[in-house]
Amino acid sequence: MKINLNNEIIFASTGGRVFEPKMDPLWFIHGSGQSHLSFILQGRFFANRGWPVIAADMPSHGLSNGIALMSIEAMSDWQIALMDQLDVEKVQIVGHSQGGLIGLDMAHRYPNRVSQLSLVATALSIPVNAGLIEMAKNKEQSAIDAMIDWGHGPEGHNHDNTMPGQNHLNFGVQLMAANKVGALYADLKACVDYTNGNLAANEIKLPVQLILAQKDKMTPMKSGLKAAEALRTDNITIVENAGHMLPSEHPEDVNRALRSFFIKS
Amino acid sequence: MTGDYKFDTLSLHAGFTPDDRHGSAAVPIHQTTSYVFKNTEHAAALYNLEIGGHLYSRISNPTVAVLEQRVAALDEGIGAVATSSGMSALFVTVLALCSAGDHIVSSSQMYGANINLFQHTLSRYGITTTFVAPNKPEAFAEAIQENTKMVFGEVIGNPGLDIMDITRVGKIANDAGVPLVIDATFNTPYLLKPLKNGANIVIHSLTKWMGGHGVALGGIVVDGGNFDWGQNDRFPTLTESHFGFQGVNLYEEFGPAAFINRVRTEGMYNVGPCLSPTNAFHLIQGIETLGLRMDRHMKNTEKMLNFLSEHEAISWVKHPTLPNHPDYEVAKRLMPKGSGSVIACGLKGGRQAGQTFIESVQVASHLANVGDAKTLVIHPGSTTQSHLSPEAMKAAGLTDDMLRISVGLEDFDDLKSDFEQALSRASKARG
Repeated sequence: MKINLNNEIIFASTGGRVFEPKMDPLWFIHGSGQSHLSFILQGRFFANRGWPVIAADMPSHGLSNGIALMSIEAMSDWQIALMDQLDVEKVQIVGHSQGGLIGLDMAHRYPNRVSQLSLVATALSIPVNAGLIEMAKNKEQSAIDAMIDWGHGPEGHNHDNTMPGQNHLNFGVQLMAANKVGALYADLKACVDYTNGNLAANEIKLPVQLILAQKDKMTPMKSGLKAAEALRTDNITIVENAGHMLPSEHPEDVNRALRSFFIKS
Repeated sequence: MTGDYKFDTLSLHAGFTPDDRHGSAAVPIHQTTSYVFKNTEHAAALYNLEIGGHLYSRISNPTVAVLEQRVAALDEGIGAVATSSGMSALFVTVLALCSAGDHIVSSSQMYGANINLFQHTLSRYGITTTFVAPNKPEAFAEAIQENTKMVFGEVIGNPGLDIMDITRVGKIANDAGVPLVIDATFNTPYLLKPLKNGANIVIHSLTKWMGGHGVALGGIVVDGGNFDWGQNDRFPTLTESHFGFQGVNLYEEFGPAAFINRVRTEGMYNVGPCLSPTNAFHLIQGIETLGLRMDRHMKNTEKMLNFLSEHEAISWVKHPTLPNHPDYEVAKRLMPKGSGSVIACGLKGGRQAGQTFIESVQVASHLANVGDAKTLVIHPGSTTQSHLSPEAMKAAGLTDDMLRISVGLEDFDDLKSDFEQALSRASKARG
């Protein structure tokens, strides 16, 4: 659905169902250079089972207008503003990669607005290679190609797909290319500048889950395991043979883990 | 371009992962109409487009999916839907984009059945077409109207061998908010990837060079995912509620994959020109050697061009790699590895000599196909284009003395001997 937020038209997917927040919505937050399309099969899965779902495109991403935000904190504030606009008091966050950092920051600085946190293929900090940031600034298509290459696991690279006939790598390239120029650079810069992850992990007190990819080259699994330790949670799912883009490459594993977490909690 | 496998590796491996239980190294033929659901929730999830998998083989099939994923990888598309033939691939593409009252701009010089579909079939359902010369990009710009939903053409026109400058035509179409749909049958992704050179959607008749063996019909639609369907209000089939699937808005929910999802959820659901799993298997076997075969096609074509150009029984030879071809420079830019293995030539003595030649060849086969591993010859004026009016023949660049040769993979010395003796008989026939 289209929403007027801060005088900009932005887009949020509701998983194909009317958004009726009878309970804390599942609030999907996408990663660097991504959009709501990172969560196509999560959004539809949960919306069709009665969960209210929001997967918003942040400014300059996907179908949203506006200027790209330059810090994780600014992105958190934007998500809170969107919650306010939709009259949503609390959300259950699913954050992928950079979206995990945003979820962590929201849970830390707005503890009354987040009831649960699922962190997918993320860590407490995401140190981005300086060369990649430079590439994102000056040669964006090369940065997109590199991220799509590193971000996918064996299934993507073998051009196999649970969705018949579809191609992870080339879809990923077009998804990222559809964002406005500069969005990827802003995201990567925000990731590398975010240093409050350990502090947030120490202070937040809410149920946390981690879903990690065994073959993640972008936020390696060991970083996720360290985050789980700092967050004092043993709710960890490791998806075997998966790369960083596991919500699209291994949707059923991710959905199973999310469903188990949200139902139990 | 991502750090991906190269062409020949993709031809052999893309889209297939051996299953854990049996480990079959070859792609299995899933000769089944239907699939057992794990439970009711699983069935509902498939119908709700929220998980991957197969419902019914009219819509998708595991063997066919490997073929789709392989061709999508080779063409660098975001997804593909395979169909029973190249013609049905074109039809489901039109179906996904056009409704009554809509308009198409198309090349005038292409395969006769393509022309017939636009001119005689679609027009009965209120979809009109303006035909323009493929090698005059500005003519496409002039023909685009408010209700134009696609620009269409073949990279290498069949049988006239005119070349469409798809980079220029693609820009013209996209600047007008219209996608460029390309029939890439004659070039295959080995010679040219249209999606990387201006096109938005590619269709192939897989029956031809992609399969290469002439044992299985098939077609495919490949979506580049590189056209913004929401940039204007021309494409309600993609940007408004779907008639099924809880009214899903494909543009919003599937983004760059809106078009290819519409093809599957309408073309395959409601019309159903599905590819059989066995044909998919045969086509996959052919694609495994596509690069090797295309190299040999190009080498034999070059030798055949030299032979024909110097032969006294031949009055003219047309191929885009010959400097006297009007589109030579465009062809060289778009397809540096070669411009296909179909040659058009004129035989002295006209129709009578042509018929004698075709009835005299022994290695080459006389049949209505192109792109086989074997060399094929035909006289279009009396066969494939015989249904066209004299005006349409002229517009398609056809003449009565024209032979079409699809150069195969035989040892060239044998082909040369065969053509020598057949041309000799043809010369005698004309006296």
